[in-house]
Amino acid sequence: MKPTRLRATLTGVALVPVLVWTLFPIYWITTASFKTELALYAKPPQWLFTPILDNYSRVLTNIPFFQYLKNSLVIAIGTTLGSLVLGTLAGYGFARFHFRASEAVRFLVLVTRMAPRMVLVVPYYLMMQRLGLLDTYTGLLVAYVSFALPFSIWLLIGFFVDVPLDVEEAAMIDGCSRLGVLLRIVIPIAAPGLVVAAIFAFLVSWNEFLFALILSGVEAKTLPVVIAGLNTDAGPLYGEMSAAAVMVMLPNIVMTLALQRYLVKGLTLGAVKG
Amino acid sequence: MAAGRAGRWFLLPGLVFLFAIDLIPLAYSGWVSFYNWWLVRPRDVRFVGLANYARFADDPEFTRAVVVTTLFTVGAVLVEFLAGLGLALLFAQPIKFLRPIRVLLLLPLFVVPVVGATMWRVIFHPELGVLNYYLGAVGLGPLPWLSDPRLALVSITLVDAWRTIPFMFLVMYAGLEVLPAELFEAAAVDGASRWQSFRHITVPLLTYIMLLAILIRGMDAFREFDIIFVLTGGGPGTATQTIQILNYRAFGLGHMGEANAIGIVTLIIVAVMCFVLMRAILRPQGARS
Repeated sequence: MKPTRLRATLTGVALVPVLVWTLFPIYWITTASFKTELALYAKPPQWLFTPILDNYSRVLTNIPFFQYLKNSLVIAIGTTLGSLVLGTLAGYGFARFHFRASEAVRFLVLVTRMAPRMVLVVPYYLMMQRLGLLDTYTGLLVAYVSFALPFSIWLLIGFFVDVPLDVEEAAMIDGCSRLGVLLRIVIPIAAPGLVVAAIFAFLVSWNEFLFALILSGVEAKTLPVVIAGLNTDAGPLYGEMSAAAVMVMLPNIVMTLALQRYLVKGLTLGAVKG
Repeated sequence: MAAGRAGRWFLLPGLVFLFAIDLIPLAYSGWVSFYNWWLVRPRDVRFVGLANYARFADDPEFTRAVVVTTLFTVGAVLVEFLAGLGLALLFAQPIKFLRPIRVLLLLPLFVVPVVGATMWRVIFHPELGVLNYYLGAVGLGPLPWLSDPRLALVSITLVDAWRTIPFMFLVMYAGLEVLPAELFEAAAVDGASRWQSFRHITVPLLTYIMLLAILIRGMDAFREFDIIFVLTGGGPGTATQTIQILNYRAFGLGHMGEANAIGIVTLIIVAVMCFVLMRAILRPQGARS
């Protein structure tokens, strides 16, 4: 069925409110971050204005933004590395070795993702308190790797299964160990899968709020907690809050656009293939 | 295919880590939930059996939280499902300009949840917000988006919908993409209307995926925290205080026994939902193979 021109036009018209609804909040906070105090509170709302960078410079100087950025980055990169190493090993294990109940275990891996985080965070807090790991990178890192890992494993199984078996077998005949095969043959071939898994793991950590709110005090505070704080302490500071929000969401937007080819595969993982 | 022995060295590190980080806190949580344990009085921890659970039966605040959580979950999932399905159908049309636009529709899903909620707080602001300005200009406002008990629940539902309609869209769009085109062509040849082929081909073939999307989103909405925390913090009063927010407050007050008991109850509810989900996933698979 080839859609008529009328149909295409109607679809285009229907898309306008959809796109406004979807993109307006992002547009509005982005422009707000470049407005003066006067323009922010102007009535009617200002659509055309001279952009300024004051909000950004104020965020960067009034709060230790770079310290929080460093916290967020270190924890996110650690999460990425941790879940990649463990996820690659386990993903390859699932893809290449079949044992009794391997299907069930694989499913159990996915089930761990379903426990509400609030249930985990309270006992986790008490445990970290005993271990003296409250407000440390380690405390958050361990939790975030466990959040990202099920997804990494499932995603990587899909990529590893597609690596041709005979290439692996040929390498093993040439005297390559299993681990050698994984490192020298499988990983290079499945590199796109690892990139996707890495980016998702990074975002899991970058976006996380609840654990960061409860476990971090001053030292390990991450950016989402900082933004929520700007929102409530002593009345919202819209200019600075917007600037901080834009800086925090920038990596997400860039990664989403870069990843778009893999989004369908990644996010609907398992759900659609059946 | 290789035997299982060598595989364990690949599997064990990840699996041991994963189950340790999930199961140890859960077991610990179950244990703490039987105690009267205040964070500020670490020396005065008493075993109270099921007392922390028994309290829920006649605690109006807990009952209210269950009602709020149910309203929010059902409302959000319903709105997101209908919007997601509509968009998936819209984008499944073979129209050229739709392809590059698709990714724009997905952006809210990837924005940091706290940042997304922050955007809406700015938009919802009663006096300074852009929404109330234009509503006022056409004589419909201003509306107390976050300060009226009923409207606040609607507002957080809307923000949740903004963030996760893309997920519903994506899952159902992916489902539509794999439907065999021949079926629709055959139906068109037989003179079926668009509605008829939607009703008799698309809906039956998509039921499984629709169910899956609803259940996954249902579990996610049930445990939503970030958006509600940033937008209303559970207020005004207890109008948007879901079980998760209540749990956070019990934790904030330092009442570890009660906080863990609420957590365990949540876990049981989610486990039941998860069980239903697994049956829904496993059954059609068994039927197919």
